[in-house]
Amino acid sequence: MSGEAGYAKPLPTVTHEDREFWAAARQHRFVLPECRACGHVWFPPYASCPACLSFDRGWTEASGRGTVWGFTIMRQPYIPSFEPELPYNVVLVELEEGPMVYSNLVSIDNDDIACGLAVEAVFEDVTDKITLIKFRPS
Amino acid sequence: MSDREFAGKTAIVGIGSTDFAQLYRSTDPERTGESLATEAIAAAIADAGLEKSQIDGLITGGLPHYEPVAYRTGLTDVRFVVDYPGAGRMCAMALMHAATAVHHGLADYVVLFNSVVFRSQGVKFGAQGQGLLYDTIYGMASPGAQYSLAFTRYQAEYGGTEEQLGAIPVAIRSHARMTPGAIMQQEMAIDDYLAARYIAQPLRLFDYCLINDGAVAYVVTTAERARDLAHPPVLIAGTAGRANFREWYVDLGFWDEACRSMKADLFDPLGVTTDDIDCLQVYDNFSVSVLWGLEGFGFAPQGQGLEWVQNGRIALGGELPINTSGGMLSESYLQGWNQHAEAVRQLRGQAGERQVPDCDWSLYWCLSALPGASLLCRDGLL
Repeated sequence: MSGEAGYAKPLPTVTHEDREFWAAARQHRFVLPECRACGHVWFPPYASCPACLSFDRGWTEASGRGTVWGFTIMRQPYIPSFEPELPYNVVLVELEEGPMVYSNLVSIDNDDIACGLAVEAVFEDVTDKITLIKFRPS
Repeated sequence: MSDREFAGKTAIVGIGSTDFAQLYRSTDPERTGESLATEAIAAAIADAGLEKSQIDGLITGGLPHYEPVAYRTGLTDVRFVVDYPGAGRMCAMALMHAATAVHHGLADYVVLFNSVVFRSQGVKFGAQGQGLLYDTIYGMASPGAQYSLAFTRYQAEYGGTEEQLGAIPVAIRSHARMTPGAIMQQEMAIDDYLAARYIAQPLRLFDYCLINDGAVAYVVTTAERARDLAHPPVLIAGTAGRANFREWYVDLGFWDEACRSMKADLFDPLGVTTDDIDCLQVYDNFSVSVLWGLEGFGFAPQGQGLEWVQNGRIALGGELPINTSGGMLSESYLQGWNQHAEAVRQLRGQAGERQVPDCDWSLYWCLSALPGASLLCRDGLL
């Protein structure tokens, strides 16, 4: 899967706020920003803590486990590069650590997706630089 | 922000709209939003029975820049100007601002409008995503997909079927068919709703609002001045807002807390209850927004909204008619502004065959990242 030169779908615009997150994902690690001042864990990786505004940010290893809060099955093209995959799922996963993340579920039929489903992170190397975190039933 | 002293001290005294259906039929890529806004403004000033020279405040919405409409309308020397982004969530906020301005004497007569050229310019809502939670990377595109995702959760928590949800767009369509200028005039039964394609499953085509061109304007002044004008004043009993910013857009409690908070702001100072409300003119960007607002504002018991909307309860002639001109699902996507224009017609008793009998109170809400609400009533009730 690594280094697919022809990956046509949108990629993240990496910034100084989230480059450590993407660098970790590249190493197949799922990390979350954690405040060294107050202990708050948040996502996406803003440079500062939304709870206490401290810029003393550390990182904590996420378990990769979570549950499906909700899902939708995309049936109409919006993003052209996703059109060949229609119908595809998008899920909102509630991580064990608290934050919510969008993702796709793999290794499951769309008909079998349900709210409350327990899932775990998997890593998909889509380009030489970017690895996406997706989920599968756990 | 609502207090007893402010309630009913300001009023909507003029409304103006473009012909949505005509604009829908005749798309024109060279159409300008400034021209549409001017048409609505002229109609609103005339409806109020005012001279243009009396307008001394301007709140613009939906356009890239605020000056061009001032040139077209000659409102070039007004003493109060504010520009709002063209977003439906700003509808109640703009009204709040106008009412506050005239109440405190920043202006005597404020004209405010929203103008959109979506259909003619081929605007699509979705491909760019919200850009907040790496959404497009995963193919999460369009607000509809986000409301759809929340509806799967709602169904998991409370049950309910897609067919039950269809009662909302079906009732609202029946109202559009009685509204001159409404875009969707074709009869729609529940089978027609269910036969339409999924967009983001479980939401179907007719769970989505229209995308069209048009403008709506109104004139706001003090209740005292309003009583000398052309029509019975429609009082602004209150406005409310509560941010509900979530990177994933939808609220995990289906906007229940936001609705309760806005309801308390609007209803409690006045002693108004849900029983007093004669019609709802609400932000139906998606059918589910109506459902969740009904529960959040306490019209329907939590988790039972889908049952509650069955059997004609929300259609004209029923207990609580909703979006009596067809809303954004079937009249026009003017982002809450056409709902306010209809509320004014209803409270003046000028809604023709759509008239809700003895219509005293009308409530608006918008469930989005920035929920807003407004409560309007006939003169003499506050």
